[in-house]
Amino acid sequence: MTRKLLLVTAICLLPLPAAAADDACANIAGDVVLSARTPEVDLYDAPNGKRVNTVKRGAFPACLAIASRAPNMMIQVTVNGRLVWVPPHMVNARLTGKKPAICRNLAMGRDDSKVGATRALGEDCPTQQKGKP
Amino acid sequence: MGKPYASRGKIAAAWSRLGRPNREHMAASALRVPYWWVAALMIAFAGWQIMMDPFGFSTLTQRYTQDISNLLITGPYLYPETGRDKISVALIEEDTLHTLQMGWPWNYGAHARALDSLLALHPRAVVVDLLFVDQRKDDTLTDLAGEVRRYREAGVPLYFAAATDVPEGAPPLRRELIAAGARMVDPTTLVNQGMTRQYPTEGLCFGSKPADGICRSLALTVYRDLYPDQPLAPLKSKMEIVWGMKTNLDPAFTRWLTGGSCSIDMPFLHRMWLAFFDPQSVRNHCPYTSYFPVEKLMMGDDDKDVAAMARGRIVFYGASLEGVQDKSFTPVNGLIASVFVHAMALDNLITFHGKPEQDVATIGPVTLGSNPAQVLAIIPVILILSWLHMGDVRRRAKKPKGAEHEGAGAYIADKLASFAWHMLAFALAMGAGLVLTLTLGLSVANWVEVVFVSLVVGGMLLFSIPDAIWGYVHHVATGAPREEPS
Repeated sequence: MTRKLLLVTAICLLPLPAAAADDACANIAGDVVLSARTPEVDLYDAPNGKRVNTVKRGAFPACLAIASRAPNMMIQVTVNGRLVWVPPHMVNARLTGKKPAICRNLAMGRDDSKVGATRALGEDCPTQQKGKP
Repeated sequence: MGKPYASRGKIAAAWSRLGRPNREHMAASALRVPYWWVAALMIAFAGWQIMMDPFGFSTLTQRYTQDISNLLITGPYLYPETGRDKISVALIEEDTLHTLQMGWPWNYGAHARALDSLLALHPRAVVVDLLFVDQRKDDTLTDLAGEVRRYREAGVPLYFAAATDVPEGAPPLRRELIAAGARMVDPTTLVNQGMTRQYPTEGLCFGSKPADGICRSLALTVYRDLYPDQPLAPLKSKMEIVWGMKTNLDPAFTRWLTGGSCSIDMPFLHRMWLAFFDPQSVRNHCPYTSYFPVEKLMMGDDDKDVAAMARGRIVFYGASLEGVQDKSFTPVNGLIASVFVHAMALDNLITFHGKPEQDVATIGPVTLGSNPAQVLAIIPVILILSWLHMGDVRRRAKKPKGAEHEGAGAYIADKLASFAWHMLAFALAMGAGLVLTLTLGLSVANWVEVVFVSLVVGGMLLFSIPDAIWGYVHHVATGAPREEPS
């Protein structure tokens, strides 16, 4: 009986860290990054930019007000005085607003025709070296 | 000096009979046709028919039969779901680009973020079905290389499709990714008359040295690495893909699919009825392998359905975009992203425990192509049909003259017997084909001609064509009906 009680208590306590973080960030209005979710959090210089730094979970600050959100879902926050972008899967966040609906219309799917053109990929040809064909 | 003249006389008489044979003598000889002649002639005819493939009709018919069989029988009813819940596909589509407001191609960093998001869901392995081969200036390449290292540290195998037709000396994948330890696989798929039915068993090595010395194609490499307890059978030539059709209808896996149904649940006869008028009407709009849009990964929300489709599964990460031309036509879905071809091939390997259906039959150390296997399979069918035919010949020989004017009952019985005869040929050939599939893993496309040729052989025997040829040849050679056996 005691074991069962302990188990139930443990299960009930599992979501506590996120909830506790949520509580701790209650004083911040609007969208907030509560804490790190993955062992490391990558910081980017732009929504579709380059990784500029990686912070360990323990070193990642909690309760960061979200400055903005990019269309590609990246989140802008200030970490150690620097404005950076973080991927949403790496952090626990409290977000408001409606997420875009994800749906695929089967009725519109064409299975007997396809586009007869090649997408312009924007790739450059490899640079030719002097003296080589 | 008399013998040459006698021989010359025999030859002249034979020559005369060749042009103007005695029909009565021929008919009498035909009733004494030997068993070996009937069997040999039919085997020769069947062998010629199978091996020659005139105008490619045989191949066309076989492949179409394979498609119909897959669409109406094996796909909806027989193909087991063993591998279905072990594989998923994460797909970049037009809607993904639209939702995320991102153009194509993505930079390496965007792929790195998607793959990292996938890694957070604890997949069993990830296969990247995108080619990172072109040299282009992109500062985020280091992010993707870093992701390769992150996967390695997490112990999650990460495979990259590598280019197979780069100029000599050029790397099949960006050198930076190779340096980071990316595992390269050959993503070649096979197209037969515009349709994807087969899958290569071997591929390029890209510098790797497998333990068994054989470099495998993408799906086989992944299977060999992840299912060592169910080793690959010695595969020669090509895999024949069996396309599954029973999409997992759990709403969790299909919730973003609207405007149609993924269900193919209908009675067999109803399916046959619809297919009779238009086989396309019974195709499935949804791929067999569960898939989720990549933007779900990028959102980073705790979507339990996406997590369920990634956790512990082999996830293919690919794209289905207009104008990128990486689509394949399948017998059961129509046009779908080629990443599903790899997923289905891997599903076949898992479902058949490393012994997928093939276009060759291996018996001990001997590997037979489908044509020799079909000729071997049809021999016992012909021997049985010929033996039964001989019984009919003997009955006709014993029948007194004038007995052909019989009543209507006998006439109907005779026609029914003819029909039963054809059905027997069909049943025997089907049996031989099923034995080939069950014992040697030969695909339906590679034995179905046995059925068609058996029906033709049955018809030839019904019309007594071998008997007639024997009667003619025997008459021309000897000039007289063969003596009655005493």
